[in-house]
Amino acid sequence: MDQRNIEFMFYGLASAWVILGVYALTLLTRERKIDAELKRLRGLVENREETK
Amino acid sequence: MRKSIIILIALLGVGWVVWNLHTVLLQLPDDADQGPVYRIMFFHIPAWFSAGIAVFIALGSSIGYLITKNLKYDAVALATTEAAVAFLTIGLVTGSIWGRISWGIWWTWDARLTSALVCWLLYAGYLVLRTAIEEPSQRARISAVLQIFAFADIPIVWYSIEWFRTQHPGPVLRGSGEMDGAMKAAVYANWPALMLVAAAFVLLRLRQEEVKREIDSLRRIVHAG
Amino acid sequence: MTFWRHTWTVLTKDLRAELRTKEAVNASFSFAITILLLISFAFDPTEEMTREFSGGLLWIVFAFAAVLILNRSYARELPNDCLDALIASPAPASAIFLGKALSNLFLLLAVEAVCFPVFGIFYNVRWIGQFWPLLLVVVLGTWGLTVVGTMFSALTVNIRLREVMLPLLLYTTMIPGLLASMQLTVHLLAGEPLSTAFVWLRFLIGFDVIFTALALTFVDTVLVG
Repeated sequence: MDQRNIEFMFYGLASAWVILGVYALTLLTRERKIDAELKRLRGLVENREETK
Repeated sequence: MRKSIIILIALLGVGWVVWNLHTVLLQLPDDADQGPVYRIMFFHIPAWFSAGIAVFIALGSSIGYLITKNLKYDAVALATTEAAVAFLTIGLVTGSIWGRISWGIWWTWDARLTSALVCWLLYAGYLVLRTAIEEPSQRARISAVLQIFAFADIPIVWYSIEWFRTQHPGPVLRGSGEMDGAMKAAVYANWPALMLVAAAFVLLRLRQEEVKREIDSLRRIVHAG
Repeated sequence: MTFWRHTWTVLTKDLRAELRTKEAVNASFSFAITILLLISFAFDPTEEMTREFSGGLLWIVFAFAAVLILNRSYARELPNDCLDALIASPAPASAIFLGKALSNLFLLLAVEAVCFPVFGIFYNVRWIGQFWPLLLVVVLGTWGLTVVGTMFSALTVNIRLREVMLPLLLYTTMIPGLLASMQLTVHLLAGEPLSTAFVWLRFLIGFDVIFTALALTFVDTVLVG
């Protein structure tokens, strides 16, 4: 009984951290994707202005 | 600049939570009835509080969008709803694990649990709906209306299910609550800490929405040229 | 006065269009009957079992049948830009909405009117003695289903994945309304008088009033912007 009790406390706290971590991870991957896209588009626009 | 502020807030929040964890794990005694498992509470209750506040902000900014038609309000609604769903998930999952030990079951259809799950479904539905609409102002308008419907539904769901027996313990922080003072203090200490983490999420998401708008306008320039 | 005339025009137009093509009603109708027969065949329930799950079974069938009708409600106007023409017409969006909601109500009630005898025969349930209270409950529950459903049908008409989004949003929002309808139906089919389940009836009326008011307030924002 006691062993399981402590085990489940650990699971509970760990699950909270895991969920926070997963959400943070999705945010960060999106961040990377968006930044790359922004850089690419800025490069495109600059190139175009130079050639004009 | 803004990015470093967000990182600072996130680090501050996480550091605070870790510090609280030290108090919770090492200084507070085990609960007389439940043993160590009750420590889940220090995440469980503040997560629900944070989600509740996020939901209110999301409702406010949705109404704000409908009044002003300013897409910034829509971005706030999206960012806070996403954070709310993350914290609702924490509340549901930690609650279920806690219930497995203290009630002996993972899940029961009582008023609080059921309304919490319906809440989660409603706001997850909101996020899914948003992915299905391309045009920004149409998306903002439609999701703002849905946000209002979802919010109106919560108290109705609550009352509808309250007439069944309730297994979840009533409020333990105020009134005739029997929680020990030091434990209560630890719950309250973890709340602002989790709120800081939530604020970092929301600010990061807001920034992303801004960058997305910039990307959209750049795309238009590229296609027009 | 003109508001009601516009409502009447949209109502009769929708009913006439549906009765000529029967595209939504036929699908909804055959689906409902098939599910009722399949479940009776698969479980072969005793009278005792039937009494317990009758409300749940009937309202789940009605909710599924409703989506088949509701999905077509606004989508029918998309070819030839009829929806734009409707919105540009002098009829206010709320009158268009009310007309469509009433038309959906009648269509769904027609489907339900066939479901009840089938249910009575194949599940050996005698409900004719409770005809009038049952009719009241069915009309109130169906109105809740159609008013929320027609609203969400308007919300999702222009988006990708319309067929998926409508049930996803409708069922979560409808949980309290369906719950009340199920409770009342089980209560009535057990032969009890309506007066002993008055709280649920009051609750169902409250649900209908709240969502009708919300829908009429916000349908303009959704359709016109």
